[in-house]
Amino acid sequence: MTRPASALLLAVWLATSALLADSKVEQFFARHCVGCHGAEQQNGNVRLDMPVRNLVVDVELLESVVTVLRAGEMPPKSASAPDARSVGEVVRVLQEQLGSQGSNHSLKRVTRSEYTNTMHDLFGIAFDFEGLLPPEHVERGFDKFGDVHLMSPSQVMAYLKTARFIAEHVLPGVKPESKTWEFDVRHFHGSKNFATGGGGDYSDGDDYVLTGFRPYRSNLHFSIDPERHDQFVIPEFGVYRLDVKARSENSKEGEVVGINIGDGRYPTSFRLVQRIALPHGSNSFTTRLTLKAGDQLAFTFDSARVPGRSLVKHSHTGPAMRFTQVRVTGPLTDQWPTVAMERLVPNSKMKPSQLVDHIGMFLTQRPLVGEDRKVFVNMAREQQKAGTSSLAITRSVLTALLTSPHFIYKSESSELTPVERAHRLSYFLWNSVPDVELLNSAKSGTLAATPSVQVERMLKDPKVARFIDDFTRQWLELEKVDDFGPDVRVFKDVRRMTVDSMGREGRELFHYLLEYGMSMENFIDSDFVMVNDRLARFYGLAAVDGDSFVPVQLPVGSERGGLVAQAGFLKLTSLDFTTSPIHRGSWILKNLYNERIEPPADVLINEPDIRGTTTVREAILKHQQLQSCSRCHSKIDPLGFALEYYDPVGRKRNVYRHVEELPIQQKGTSFTKELRITSVPINAAMKLPNGREVRDMTTLKTALMADKDQIIKGIIGKLFSYAHGREITLRDRPDIDAIFVSITEEGFSLRAAIHAIVAHPSFGRR
Amino acid sequence: MALLLPCMESLGQVGEEDAPRRLLTIVNHLSFYQPELIPLTEGPFVKVPTLLNELSDHFNQLKILSGLDNPAVQNGFGHTPCVGILSGYFNKLHRKNRISIDQAVADEIGASTRFKSLVFQAGENLDFSQISWDKHGLPVHQIDSPRKIFNQLFQVDEDERTQQQILAEDRSILDAVLAQASSMEKRLNVTDRIKLDEYLTSVREVEQSVRRRAYWAERSKPRVDYKLDDFSRKSVDDYVGTLLDLAVLALQTDSTRSVTVQIPFWEGFKEPEISGNYHDLSHHGQKPEKIKKLLVLEHAILKRISRSLSMMKERTSGNGTLFDQTTTLLTASMGSANSHNFDNLPALVFDSRLRTPGHWQMQDVPMSNLYLGLLQLFAPEQEFFGESTGAFEVLA
Repeated sequence: MTRPASALLLAVWLATSALLADSKVEQFFARHCVGCHGAEQQNGNVRLDMPVRNLVVDVELLESVVTVLRAGEMPPKSASAPDARSVGEVVRVLQEQLGSQGSNHSLKRVTRSEYTNTMHDLFGIAFDFEGLLPPEHVERGFDKFGDVHLMSPSQVMAYLKTARFIAEHVLPGVKPESKTWEFDVRHFHGSKNFATGGGGDYSDGDDYVLTGFRPYRSNLHFSIDPERHDQFVIPEFGVYRLDVKARSENSKEGEVVGINIGDGRYPTSFRLVQRIALPHGSNSFTTRLTLKAGDQLAFTFDSARVPGRSLVKHSHTGPAMRFTQVRVTGPLTDQWPTVAMERLVPNSKMKPSQLVDHIGMFLTQRPLVGEDRKVFVNMAREQQKAGTSSLAITRSVLTALLTSPHFIYKSESSELTPVERAHRLSYFLWNSVPDVELLNSAKSGTLAATPSVQVERMLKDPKVARFIDDFTRQWLELEKVDDFGPDVRVFKDVRRMTVDSMGREGRELFHYLLEYGMSMENFIDSDFVMVNDRLARFYGLAAVDGDSFVPVQLPVGSERGGLVAQAGFLKLTSLDFTTSPIHRGSWILKNLYNERIEPPADVLINEPDIRGTTTVREAILKHQQLQSCSRCHSKIDPLGFALEYYDPVGRKRNVYRHVEELPIQQKGTSFTKELRITSVPINAAMKLPNGREVRDMTTLKTALMADKDQIIKGIIGKLFSYAHGREITLRDRPDIDAIFVSITEEGFSLRAAIHAIVAHPSFGRR
Repeated sequence: MALLLPCMESLGQVGEEDAPRRLLTIVNHLSFYQPELIPLTEGPFVKVPTLLNELSDHFNQLKILSGLDNPAVQNGFGHTPCVGILSGYFNKLHRKNRISIDQAVADEIGASTRFKSLVFQAGENLDFSQISWDKHGLPVHQIDSPRKIFNQLFQVDEDERTQQQILAEDRSILDAVLAQASSMEKRLNVTDRIKLDEYLTSVREVEQSVRRRAYWAERSKPRVDYKLDDFSRKSVDDYVGTLLDLAVLALQTDSTRSVTVQIPFWEGFKEPEISGNYHDLSHHGQKPEKIKKLLVLEHAILKRISRSLSMMKERTSGNGTLFDQTTTLLTASMGSANSHNFDNLPALVFDSRLRTPGHWQMQDVPMSNLYLGLLQLFAPEQEFFGESTGAFEVLA
């Protein structure tokens, strides 16, 4: 009888202490907050005059309350300020409240890139699902987050079509016959036929020459019949080898050729599938591509020196790319039956039930059981009864399983099973399904107990490049780097490959820090940068050879270290002609501090009227005066403004160049658009909410370094949410803190952070 | 696993009625510069601002409503609230929406045509350009390529038998995955079950559309002497024009009775005399130069819409013109793209039956009241739509 009694006592005690805590919070709100967030006023549409138990239902509100309290942003300085201890107490109570609510993390489905990589690893085929599977749309966070995965009829249709496409091509009926096609200058076509004037590409003796002079038009494509212009079309799905004789002229350095899929007559619709870096002096290249029936190939000279669109007519004297021969061979079959066929149908005498069990297990490493299994077995049996061929049945089973929730959704129990844990880890570091060794390690329990062996092995595997690509692309928003093309009239030395290199710099830094176990502090500031030939020249550093990135020590006094000094970041946060301090500041806050910022959902942004302002600064300071905006903008603006000494493509500047487009002048048949450029002085100094002034790159980086702990936790948070496939919440903060502490001794090495995230108990929980 | 499906017999019976009712919905994502669109006075069109004047050929069949609100559309979050324009609903915590007016009408009138509805979209289909939502609040596929639209409507499928075979196989696969999902659902917790429900609902929808396709695959597509020429995606006239032409053709051939066209956030729109892109110009900051450029694009859009309406007046179908059989709604997903304001919305309704044309200035009236009024034109028994507090009498 004692046990129930003491349990009851305990419950009563817990309840009372909770009540006491709640009333403390309520008193705190009443004293410090309700004046502006109560019955009379609801600033920011926030109301706090209610019992805590009602308040905690709104998780989002609670999170933002805790955030502003912790950061000391609220209550405002003018109000009767509470002491740090009572703030800490309130934060603790609210955080416990949050923690006590059960987790409701959404079911996740495999993303398009996970799907693509999984198919590659299972079948050994590098499928490209462009046009078949829609990419995930993400506004914040990562595409791995379950709550952004909306399912719709068109998504299901896309899964079905993709699955049918896969089944058809991993299980071909007959062995495809390989052929070779050879093309030379007689079959080559370029842009010249379509250009409105000269200056385009041309044929010269045995060569066809790409100048890139008209980048939106310039390309080389080819037809089988020399007399006609019908572009060569890939006849069937498979792997093709391309042997191309091409060399650069009038160039002293390496050049880059792009391989595109698309109709050569409409180069604006090209899809770049591969870039080939040709070292200086080389005169050919060979590559392999997985192509499908109907694809058309075209080459572009991506490192051409003529940037953007140029309306000037004169002959081309700069570097050019000469093509002599293109040979296409395929579809190539390394062995027959193919690896994929052997894996899918290990023996030809399989019964429908065996087939279903085998393919189900093969795709997900989880057995199909009960009713789930029966439906597929019945489907296969019925087809068998109807006399369907065993090939068609196997294709059907594969299509059905690939379309089914068994494959599309990730299975995650509240405590991950060994197989689920292996999946989480391989989705994290390989963006794909686990291999046999990882699965074995999981099943034997080794993975859960000492994950570091597997993590280390996975980080050394080439497949880790997928993680680096996918994570940095989303974390650093690298895709945006080419959203606004630099206007050639203003940015004369920025070319396509310079922009391309800018978009790779953040990734390369991450890669380097990961590979060499270096500190994440280097994301804030570093004494070296990762550059290739073009970027080194752009930054004015000692020459680097080739398109690959290498670390280069910075000269004393250089500001280029760290993510915020990278041209890529500075460019992707800018517009055509102007920088955007707001974008830059909010990027830093979102991606380094891992803060959630968004325009307040309940406040209508007042219609901006910026007629009377001359510089960006004045325009933005006007916004800042609005109370509804100032909470975030008091942080965003100083961070962004400090970077005003860097122009829209990331070059250092001392004055604003205000660009104005003059009315078009027509001269005969041509017309020109002139620009007027005026200079305006820069004033970048502003105070952060904590009182520290930032006025340029150096002071900004000092300020960021002072927040080092916060930023490193921010980056850990990003990695954590990517690994777990969900947004992190305040509930996760203790875990993040623990991971942070655990890597202190390793100097906050990026590699150690990944080890620690996987080793932390939270990794085994849903 | 048996499915509840509508009677197949109801499909394909293009009724005896000579004049089926149709709906054309046009949404301009970046809105219009309202001072040049909305008359200063209520009632008949007397002094008409320049933008509205582009539609002067249709003033006798036009009601323009101004100042409508979407109370259940949350502000903030960039352009995303635009997804709620036709449903009157957007909640940033929910990815799902509610049924949009074009689909609500399509559910009423879409049973007997090849397509229940068609939704066209200029430019890339971005996250915030989804405006059409089915009865489950799930996104309806918005086709963004004029070529694809044309092929779906008019191109003859090459191998009919293969087509039928694939459709039959699709059906058995869909049956199986549906059954697996239902079985799996029983093992899940509540949150996961909600997620999987979306999957189940989607599969059921696909299954229905597969049956519909199987039915129509046996029937030949209409022939039209319309040639889809190469067109410039940068020209408003070309691009919007092509989509509207296809919309009119889809209605005219009775391929569907509900067509929705979205003219979206399309960076590419440029006219010869304009530098800067459409989106940038829409954030004009009240600068007169920018407004001037913006108006060039808006004039071009309205001019093209007016032309399509005229075209519909010329084409006859059964006893009347296509225009007589079609109710056209033109609206915008923002009140002002300059400030990202999702209230103060304009709506223009064209219907040859309406008795009093003119301008209606609204205040504190939800858009859904107009939508309910429209819905009742097709289904008089409907009493609610979205946030409706009453029905706007469209034909009065």
